[in-house]
Amino acid sequence: MENTMKFEHKTFGKKLKTMLAVDFRRMFKSPIFYIMIGVALVIPALILVMTTMMDGTVSVDPTTGAETVMEGFDNVWQSIGSVSGESSEMSMDLTSMCNINMMYFLAAVLICIFIADDFRSGYAKNLFTVRANKADYVISKTLIGFVGGAAMLIAYFVGTMLGGAISGLPFALGALTVGNIVMCMLAKVFLMLVFVAIFVLVSVATKQKLWASIIGSLGASMLLFTMIPMMTPLNSSIMNVMMCLIGGVLFSIGLGAVSKMILSKTSLV
Amino acid sequence: MNAVEIKGLTKNFGPKQAVSGLNMTVPAGAIYGFIGENGSGKSTTEKMICGLILPSGGSIKLYGKDYTDADVRARVGVLIEAPGCFPNMSVWNNMMLQASNLGIKNSETEVQKVLKMVRMEGAAGNKYKNCSLGMKQRIGIAMALLGDPVLLVLDEPLNGLDADGMRIMREVLTDITKDGKHTVIVSSHLLGELQKIATHYGIIRHGKMLCEMTAEELDANCRTYVALQTKDMNRTKALLACKYSRVEEDEAGYLRVYDAKSPEEIVTYLYENGMLINEIKTDKIGLEEYYIDLMNGGSSSAPAKQSHFPSKSKEER
Repeated sequence: MENTMKFEHKTFGKKLKTMLAVDFRRMFKSPIFYIMIGVALVIPALILVMTTMMDGTVSVDPTTGAETVMEGFDNVWQSIGSVSGESSEMSMDLTSMCNINMMYFLAAVLICIFIADDFRSGYAKNLFTVRANKADYVISKTLIGFVGGAAMLIAYFVGTMLGGAISGLPFALGALTVGNIVMCMLAKVFLMLVFVAIFVLVSVATKQKLWASIIGSLGASMLLFTMIPMMTPLNSSIMNVMMCLIGGVLFSIGLGAVSKMILSKTSLV
Repeated sequence: MNAVEIKGLTKNFGPKQAVSGLNMTVPAGAIYGFIGENGSGKSTTEKMICGLILPSGGSIKLYGKDYTDADVRARVGVLIEAPGCFPNMSVWNNMMLQASNLGIKNSETEVQKVLKMVRMEGAAGNKYKNCSLGMKQRIGIAMALLGDPVLLVLDEPLNGLDADGMRIMREVLTDITKDGKHTVIVSSHLLGELQKIATHYGIIRHGKMLCEMTAEELDANCRTYVALQTKDMNRTKALLACKYSRVEEDEAGYLRVYDAKSPEEIVTYLYENGMLINEIKTDKIGLEEYYIDLMNGGSSSAPAKQSHFPSKSKEER
């Protein structure tokens, strides 16, 4: 028998390609992904229809007799975001909370379930036995999370259009342009990278503890929630898109490196 | 060449030392039976070999390279505790997922091949969660066999298998190691089954390697005994006890005499004392008894010593 054994060297790119193929295949076969997309599609339609129906209704506090007038959305685009400068003055009312930015929370749930599943099912054992380098895992999960999150944002946008049409809310752009809306959506999509990098980091740190990863990710999202309307207002320009893109890439690289380090320096089962 | 070479391996979980200065040598082409009590450190060692948990100290080399070498690790197959499968996916999809992970080109053909090896081709469409424990073990083996691994690490692969399943498993493991290039590390509490396939053994206790030996060395270490049956076993036992230092009754109802020179000597002795023998035979203690005896510090085995195996393939042996 020969004294040495030769092992085929697989490049990082080749390994990443197989990892991405597996993760995409898994995500597109996973019911949870379609449930999330469905939720993202239905929520805005429900919110728009319900708030339009409730708009102007008065509720009276029986003890103090104080009257509260329920205010709904004035136009469809408010469900996507607010115009720059408005958000700082806005209180935490329905219109500031129930909008597309909720999708960042939903993305947290998707990513946490996706990664925790790897560890809970024991799939991580199969995976990390044959993969000494953890970078491809982190990159793949970040990209998958990003695509999943972007899909949810787009689904929410589509749901908003449908909900607006059903509820009869105006689509009037006012001072905005179609370009602003496109830039706003692009900025939100790229900003998703920042959040996904955080969710991946929390998930690989907590491994099979799904509850811990969801709590951690939602907590981090809450801390950064107010940043979203500031970074991605309805009147976004190319600057907003660039800032979100650069921020997303930097966060992904930085936090991705930390995630890789955690996987390399800690036990995987 | 050694498939696995471990020196001074240590693993601490907080104040508890699960593995303590373990040395282990697994020659390429061997079926290495890794034996030890519950909590002795078998699974921890196997997980460290697979890179799933980090050692606190010591070194692990796989085929002469560090265990973190990505190219070597890509050729390791593993079944530790339970197969890593998604419960809501079909067996086929789980297998295809792992095949994609390994970057196997003809993944469908390869998956079919390994499922056929473990006689699970008929259950490919079943959801993994609906499979029985034995089926899951076979799926785990099939998954570990994907991608033609040069090193297979199997932790209790015989758990939950029926007699046919065990036979299949034996056939699979002996078949893949025939060429001398594939190595299997298998831990099991079913020592009788292990003895049928293992070419090398390592016995671990309290995180330390008690001894390593080849199947031939085990055979030499296991003492022979004379087993006999008479009509009056109590009187026979009393008679034999007068002459021989170790006389025991086994589970099958035989009296075992460990230090007799030959059966003829016993026949003559009992005949002289008016005792007729119904049946007499010579036999050797098995791995199970050897192991139990070793754990109890008994004397039915010759003193075991830490051996370092010559790097030979099975054909050479």
